[in-house]
Amino acid sequence: MKLNKNHLQTLIFISAYLFAIYFWTQPLQERKLPYGEYDAMSHFEVADYMAYNDKSFNKLPAYIELRYGNDNKYKPHTLWYPPTFHSSLAVAEAAGGERVIPVFLMNTILATFIIITVYFVINSLFGFLPAILSALLLIFSPRDFMPFLWGQWPERFAYAFVPLILYFFYKYVISYSKEEKNPIYLYITALLLGINILIHPLVFFHSLIGLAVLYILLSIKQKKMIFNIKHISIAAIIFIALFMLFPNQTFNVFAQFSRDSTGSSAQSSFDFSRLLQWSLNPKDYEGSVPASYFSFNEMHGLWTLPFLLIGMAFLLWRREERDIFMLAWLVGLYLVLHRDLIGKATFLHRSLSASTHVFAPLTALGAIYIASAIKLPSNSNKYLKYGIAALFVLLVFSVNMAYASKILNKNTYNDFLSTLSKEQYLAAEWILKNVPPDYNVSVIGIPHQQNLLPATAKKIRWSAAVSQHVSRFYLLVEDKKEAERRLKNDYIMLDYTMAGAVGDKEIFDKMQDMEKNTLTNYTLLYNQNNMKVYKLET
Amino acid sequence: MKLNNDSKELLVFLAIIAVIIGIFLTFYFGLTGLKVFIGIIMASLPFYVFLNSFKLAEGEKFVLSIILGITLFPSFAYLLGFLVSFRMSIAIVFILLTAVSIFWNKKPRKS
Repeated sequence: MKLNKNHLQTLIFISAYLFAIYFWTQPLQERKLPYGEYDAMSHFEVADYMAYNDKSFNKLPAYIELRYGNDNKYKPHTLWYPPTFHSSLAVAEAAGGERVIPVFLMNTILATFIIITVYFVINSLFGFLPAILSALLLIFSPRDFMPFLWGQWPERFAYAFVPLILYFFYKYVISYSKEEKNPIYLYITALLLGINILIHPLVFFHSLIGLAVLYILLSIKQKKMIFNIKHISIAAIIFIALFMLFPNQTFNVFAQFSRDSTGSSAQSSFDFSRLLQWSLNPKDYEGSVPASYFSFNEMHGLWTLPFLLIGMAFLLWRREERDIFMLAWLVGLYLVLHRDLIGKATFLHRSLSASTHVFAPLTALGAIYIASAIKLPSNSNKYLKYGIAALFVLLVFSVNMAYASKILNKNTYNDFLSTLSKEQYLAAEWILKNVPPDYNVSVIGIPHQQNLLPATAKKIRWSAAVSQHVSRFYLLVEDKKEAERRLKNDYIMLDYTMAGAVGDKEIFDKMQDMEKNTLTNYTLLYNQNNMKVYKLET
Repeated sequence: MKLNNDSKELLVFLAIIAVIIGIFLTFYFGLTGLKVFIGIIMASLPFYVFLNSFKLAEGEKFVLSIILGITLFPSFAYLLGFLVSFRMSIAIVFILLTAVSIFWNKKPRKS
């Protein structure tokens, strides 16, 4: 077999993509322990429950119900998302044969799928060079990997569908106008749109608006509107079939939508100046999203701005059909990002995370097309193009990768207070395997002071996720009777791994005192790595 | 099944890529990483066979079959998982999808 140009290009892309997998999985590689914010826990819990217990479920088990029981407004106490995303992680766990690596690896593959779809779409429409440059920029996009770290897992994957949905619809319209009518492209659009809503409804609406803009702009460009009732009917059937696959969850979209229209967290009054802004006001998200997330410089690198503007200007000037595709994608995102102007501001900042998906290819196209815009003697344009591409790559690695490495590295979430240690993970696994599912776990020893609680509350939730048991600081509640009841009924976990490190002598003494006086009639069931589990045998 | 030279070349190239990815995942995540990768290939394979009967570009078929493999395949496994164990449902869905795809591919069509 001879390596041809296509093979070589594919190998280059595969190398870049594997580097992305390496880069994004750094927090997992050495520690091999679960990590992330509350959202991450919930997604892990759903997938892991399915795979570990080897069964599908709809009604939430107690340890998930406690927090998410009412998140499905249409059918409370059931899964609040369609199970598509989580069953994908569960299949990975079943295939991988263990609990943590498969879920986190698979999630990384899903979250980085946007790199594959952007590369594929841009390569198909504009060629290899802008495609690979876009992919490189996306690898180091903090607006992508920050929400991935925070735990907005399904949403990250759902965004990979946007360029793909637009691409297949574009192919349908183009094939239709060239009289080669290939309706399969419209059916694929409907199929992907249906899957998109199963993954994340917010992104589905994003795709829908992008499609509307693309249809309008292409109709203007071609001076005709395509409408084929047979094609549309079949596409609608495909979409409805997928929508009805998990009605308890997909109908939740409407329940959520009607609820959201009555209130939203951010500003919703009409502010004309918002039309001229791309990003949002960081002050509206203080305490939940870092200010850097709203900064162009920190998220994309200021060096990309001239190329981005040149890219947009060039496409606006040239206006070929593929240029219209890019512009429709951009306008679609602009509209989605300004929905607060019509009072729909819920999760607005999350839509901002899609910026790089369209900015990266526009920036790459801007860089590539500079070379063709400058008049030079024959063949020199080619050298200039590759020269600019080389400079682009250099800047990506020296600016974007350097910045990204500060946020995403091997120590990300290597956090003593919020992430489970190996000892705590093993104790949680022991509970999973040895404690009947109906029993709760009362934990003592994990710091619970007000200043530490925001971090340590995550640790105890991770412990619940791994042990698949309701775990709380029940013995520390003010209600003495409740504490007494817990002491009698619950499994008592004493965690000696943290008190020393945070200098919490009080809790250490309390645990010692409990062991000497209160737990004397209890059976010590687990005693390893400074972790103990007691139970009052009845 | 007879393969033409292009298809043979494609198969060899895909095998090389699969080996590279397999080595990479084994290096960083051990056999678990490799098994996850094999799982993705297995879930995507029936969709690739199915899509092969349509007039689509090779790249389109690849991206689509992977995306369907990691979304529709597990969704079907989830649904069947209410009747049999989840692992059993994965195996049944794989067999059913592969059978349907092969049957669809062999079905004579109007030219």
